[in-house]
Amino acid sequence: MTQHMDKIGAVAIIGAGITGVQAALDLADMGFKVYLLEKTPAIGGVMAQLDKTFPTNDCSMCILSPKLVDCARHPNIEIHTTTEITGIEGAAGKFSLKIHQTPRYVDLLKCTSCGSCAEICPVSLPNEFDYGLSTRKAIYKSYPQAIPNAYVIDKIGDGKHRCVECGRCEKVCKSGAIVHEQKPLDRVFSVGAVIVAAGAQPFDPIVKPEFGYKRYSNVVTSIEFERILSASGPFQGKILRPSDKKEPKRIAWVHCVGSRDKSVGNDYCSSMCCMYTAKEAVIAKEHHHEIEPTVFYIDVRSFGKDFDAYIERAKKEHDVRYVRSRISEVEEDSKTKNLKIRYEDECGELHEDAFDLVVLSVGLCAAKHKPHELVKTLGLSENVFGFVDSVSFDPVVTNVPGIFIAGTLLEPQGIPESVTQASAAAAKAGMLLRDVRGTLVSHKTYPLERSVEEEMPRIGVFICHCGINIGGVLDIDALVTSTKSLENVVYVDANLYSCSEDTQKKIVDAIHTHQLNRILVAACTPRTHEPLFQKSLREAGLNPYLLEMTNIREQCSWVHMDIPKEATGKAKILIAMAVAKTRQLVPIHTVEIPVNQRALVVGGGIAGMSAALSLADQGFDTVLVEKDHMLGGHLNNIFYTVEGLDVHAFVKEISHRVMSHPRIKLYLSSKIKDVKGYVGNYDTYIETSAGVELFNHGVVVVATGVEENKPKSYHYGADPRVMTQSELEKRLSEMDSRDVCNRETYVMIQCVESRDNTRPYCSRICCMQAVKNALRIKSLNPRAEVFVLYRDMMTYGFKEIFYSKARESGVVFIQYDSDWKPEISLGEHIKVKVKDPLLGSVDIPADYLILSTGMQPPKDTMALAKQLKVPLNSDGFFLEAHVKLRPVDFSTRGVFLAGCCHSPKFLGESVYQGEAAAARAATILASGKLESEPNIAVVDETLCSGCKTCILVCPYKAIDAVEKNVDGKRVVHAKVNEGLCQGCGTCVVACPARAIEQHGFNDRQILSMIKEII
Amino acid sequence: MMHHMILNVKDGDVSGSVNEMLKHLLSSAGIEALLVPQAVPSKKTVFPVLISDPKKLHADVFAPVLPVSTAAMVSRMTKVQPSSQPFGVVMHPCQIRALFELAKLNQVKLDNVVIIGVDCLGTFSVNTYASFPEKQNPTLFLLESFVKKTNDSEKYLRTACSVCTDMVPSNADIVIGLYGMDVEHEILIEAHTEKGKKLLEHLQLETGKDVNHRETAVKTVHEHQLKKYQMFIKEKSGLKGIALFAEFFDTCVNCHNCKTACPICYCRECLYESAVFDAEAYKFLRKAQTKGLLKMPQDTLLFHLGRMNHMILSCVKCGLCEQACPNNILLMDMFIPAAERTQKEFSYHPGKDVAEKIPMIVYREDEYKEVGEK
Repeated sequence: MTQHMDKIGAVAIIGAGITGVQAALDLADMGFKVYLLEKTPAIGGVMAQLDKTFPTNDCSMCILSPKLVDCARHPNIEIHTTTEITGIEGAAGKFSLKIHQTPRYVDLLKCTSCGSCAEICPVSLPNEFDYGLSTRKAIYKSYPQAIPNAYVIDKIGDGKHRCVECGRCEKVCKSGAIVHEQKPLDRVFSVGAVIVAAGAQPFDPIVKPEFGYKRYSNVVTSIEFERILSASGPFQGKILRPSDKKEPKRIAWVHCVGSRDKSVGNDYCSSMCCMYTAKEAVIAKEHHHEIEPTVFYIDVRSFGKDFDAYIERAKKEHDVRYVRSRISEVEEDSKTKNLKIRYEDECGELHEDAFDLVVLSVGLCAAKHKPHELVKTLGLSENVFGFVDSVSFDPVVTNVPGIFIAGTLLEPQGIPESVTQASAAAAKAGMLLRDVRGTLVSHKTYPLERSVEEEMPRIGVFICHCGINIGGVLDIDALVTSTKSLENVVYVDANLYSCSEDTQKKIVDAIHTHQLNRILVAACTPRTHEPLFQKSLREAGLNPYLLEMTNIREQCSWVHMDIPKEATGKAKILIAMAVAKTRQLVPIHTVEIPVNQRALVVGGGIAGMSAALSLADQGFDTVLVEKDHMLGGHLNNIFYTVEGLDVHAFVKEISHRVMSHPRIKLYLSSKIKDVKGYVGNYDTYIETSAGVELFNHGVVVVATGVEENKPKSYHYGADPRVMTQSELEKRLSEMDSRDVCNRETYVMIQCVESRDNTRPYCSRICCMQAVKNALRIKSLNPRAEVFVLYRDMMTYGFKEIFYSKARESGVVFIQYDSDWKPEISLGEHIKVKVKDPLLGSVDIPADYLILSTGMQPPKDTMALAKQLKVPLNSDGFFLEAHVKLRPVDFSTRGVFLAGCCHSPKFLGESVYQGEAAAARAATILASGKLESEPNIAVVDETLCSGCKTCILVCPYKAIDAVEKNVDGKRVVHAKVNEGLCQGCGTCVVACPARAIEQHGFNDRQILSMIKEII
Repeated sequence: MMHHMILNVKDGDVSGSVNEMLKHLLSSAGIEALLVPQAVPSKKTVFPVLISDPKKLHADVFAPVLPVSTAAMVSRMTKVQPSSQPFGVVMHPCQIRALFELAKLNQVKLDNVVIIGVDCLGTFSVNTYASFPEKQNPTLFLLESFVKKTNDSEKYLRTACSVCTDMVPSNADIVIGLYGMDVEHEILIEAHTEKGKKLLEHLQLETGKDVNHRETAVKTVHEHQLKKYQMFIKEKSGLKGIALFAEFFDTCVNCHNCKTACPICYCRECLYESAVFDAEAYKFLRKAQTKGLLKMPQDTLLFHLGRMNHMILSCVKCGLCEQACPNNILLMDMFIPAAERTQKEFSYHPGKDVAEKIPMIVYREDEYKEVGEK
């Protein structure tokens, strides 16, 4: 008892890109205090700079921005920008983290982000957010949606390249936010754990002069090209080339710049470049159909979920030309500024093509300057490339207890992996600090809500000048006068800044003095400011949903600044419409749903065990159900890792921990018979050998794994010399070097019944398994010959090192085309015929034929999907809520997924995905209750015809059909589950009978607004 | 699953022979009741009548009139609780399609419902039927015109029927077929489902007779109708824009009869009959001031837009709305081209297959990219 009292229920997160942001949100929801520390002036990281994301082509900022706003709004998260780490003391559970904060010269509490300062600032500097393709002022905001939503002054450069302290911004800032004399700040945070999410850096191709970067103006990096594509980028989303601002037609992408490249010390693959290149080519083509994209590549590493299909679409639907060739040089035509690329095609023929623009698909490196300062400060061990080393089998755990790692500083990777690791690291911190969960979060108490139902509307309207942003264009006095004449409006006030602290006091006072019962704020966007005003209403004893906002800034003064008279007219109408809605506002009372704090994990493979252990170690009772008679799942067919670690020993150890954990109840040889209920309150019937048992729980983690495909082709099953990779692995594990002294020949064929019509996806792990087993053969018997016939070697990240090692140790890799699959004939030897693009047809006499056959979901996957009402993708794997940002969530609240049932993956990936699912589950379990969304849908039973259309369109499965007895007759109507409804409004639109309405957006409210203008 | 039999027509009495067969079904096939078109005492029209006593069965299944939707009647019978006892319904093809649409929307339960479809020769309006100008009874006139191939009946057909391309029921358990048959002597009785086949076993009808000429006849009449339909679409497709829309409905008295007559419209309370459009006098005055005038009632156009929005994808083109209009607004001129275009847009075939999902609940990632975010 006394021991844990020393622990601190707070976590520091270093780096506020998408990884840090996700970890912060998870931990804050789990009941921990979070310090989110960021080096730059704004959170969001690289993802904020991207245009779209693959494979869904979602707008990157559109999916990121809500998470950033959530961070800013969360009561348990403190954001500290322009902050760097200077030291750390203490140990796991209780660290003192020393930080140094450079001055922003702008008071965060006072800055309203109106932008007047930047307008007047005379100093223009290169904009690092656009990689110098555009300029910004010395006082600036990194990007429009930046959080914190405030400006910053650049005083870092020398004389001409920084703020000149002319004082103009100080004069123009009406809220007095400029503080030129701000001093740097050193302080210490007491935290129980630290998560490092500092991220890696884009490779700077200046060290590869042959590509002409910075020498030739029309050679740009892929991240610069993202900015060119972006609507908020240097060319407002027009694709222009830097030299002459003309639209390029022929664009080339060069893969592997700074990756898979020993000459710059980056022997690894950067994992995401193949996919972002395809995305950039597709999006470019979508911008201008005339663009002819060419991609020069070595392998197309489309190993992720739904990636292969994306590449196929890029090739077939968008006419992206793929050329397999390593480019050695780019030359510029000094007159036209066009670029020449000479390349050798697969058949060894030389070609030369001209391009208008060349994009270098740059990879990631750990730091611009080695050694990595932060890694050194924290005492973390790093690998030869400067990335953080993690513990075997547990990727987010570092050598320092209590410090966890997530994101691209661990290994170059895509967004879903980073986000998953973020949640996994949060789970680790949650396990460490479980006894002090909830000790450092504060709960504010508000006065009792006044009942307003019986009163006539008494509306108070607060009109904002927003400095000169609104007041400089609109005639505020005229707006005050016109608003005063509106029915039910009893109080109108104009404020310089409505969001300032003193206006909040004025709002509270006015509510009391004038007995106001509804408030309208005519100012900026509710997206950032609504919670602030809602808080003021609560402090004055009003229900927070008696607030309405209308945006007379973005939607009026900013867009009509040249026509102030008309703009004022429009603002009058906007306010009148909003008053009409305000009259109709009713209090909304959210519902508190009790949560059963127990978890169910389905599947006892490594992902399921990892999830169960993580949940149990966080203090939640967990039931683990496994259909087999033993734990381990597919890992029981895996014997060693490529590093030579014993997988079976690991599985044994983990299984033992699961079986002996006091909070885990294990059901072997059991399956789910039926699932009833919803988030927080599930009743699951488990079918065991001893009968059916009922288990009540609050969340579900699905981790049902995969199985190896047993092929129908290549005489598999008919000849013992033909076997799958797993079968080979089993044999190899039983041998030692004395067993294989013969000169044997092994031929491995990759992508058997994979990435074709039978299984149109890449199974991610087979290439590496082939490399691993090839290396094993070579180490057992250096005289043995191993041939690997592959299509694209998917040895992404640091796995590339082992691919290189295999080639160096004499394993022969022959690339084949999917149109020319290897052929075999059986005899004394197995004759393998393969068509090499360079050598032509090659015959290899083999002793063993090893088939990499891909992985597939087990047959009972569909049944479980139906029981849990969660979807599968077209390949039969479970479909998560969002590929990028919600990789372990289902859209149905309370159900999560982990491991290979999501898509095939490696052991370590399954481990951290299991932990991530546990973290996400813990955000629901931690507080023991859930609050429903305010703007949920409700069904009017008297109007509902029971047609069930709403049930079928609801993306969250939040509506059920219920039967009711009305006057002795059976009536079926829809019923919205308050815990599951997310307030998206889809059902409201689908219902023809208007039997469903949404709180805060009902027909009366919307129609009353429309009636004001027609 | 096609199983056909021949019903021999006695003394050239087509309707009577079918009635006898239905009697047989009702008395000996384990069917509790039959919902059939049967003349009202004044003989001015026929209505769906639910008959349990074979002696009271005087069905006029070929009567060329459809005063109310048969599908809506089945909905009324089964919506509260599906029937536990089997009953049969004699239906026009358009009503079977409507029935399937209602089933998709859970407004009808098809358990224990035996659908008996009739080949449709078209129907006249209620008024035309009631005061039929020819000397003959309308059913006899229609059948004679069919037998003699005179096209005499065509001028009396409702617009919906004159351009209908689905005169042969495709979704019935049992089909009573006329096309391609020598109907003065023989009528086709065909089972399309196992359920239909079992019932027909109770009738000792002639089997095994070759009816190959039916297929050709059905094809010919379909092609003929399709031409008429396409011409109609071409002719009526010009109606675009709100001004023309307003002109089209300018005689509408906002009585909502079209809505009441529609077989599919199923809301318990229509939005346009609720208090949503009630407003203070000043709002009416302000609206008048905006344009200088305001035609009353003010929500007529919105009603028609709303009705079209709700119904157009499920529209089975039965034309009952047009028949119900007291001011003879030619609703089919608008609804048929609109239904054609919207249904084609979603590749949707209302009433064709009960398993086909209504477009509202189908999400296709690849559609309407041109209106999405660029």
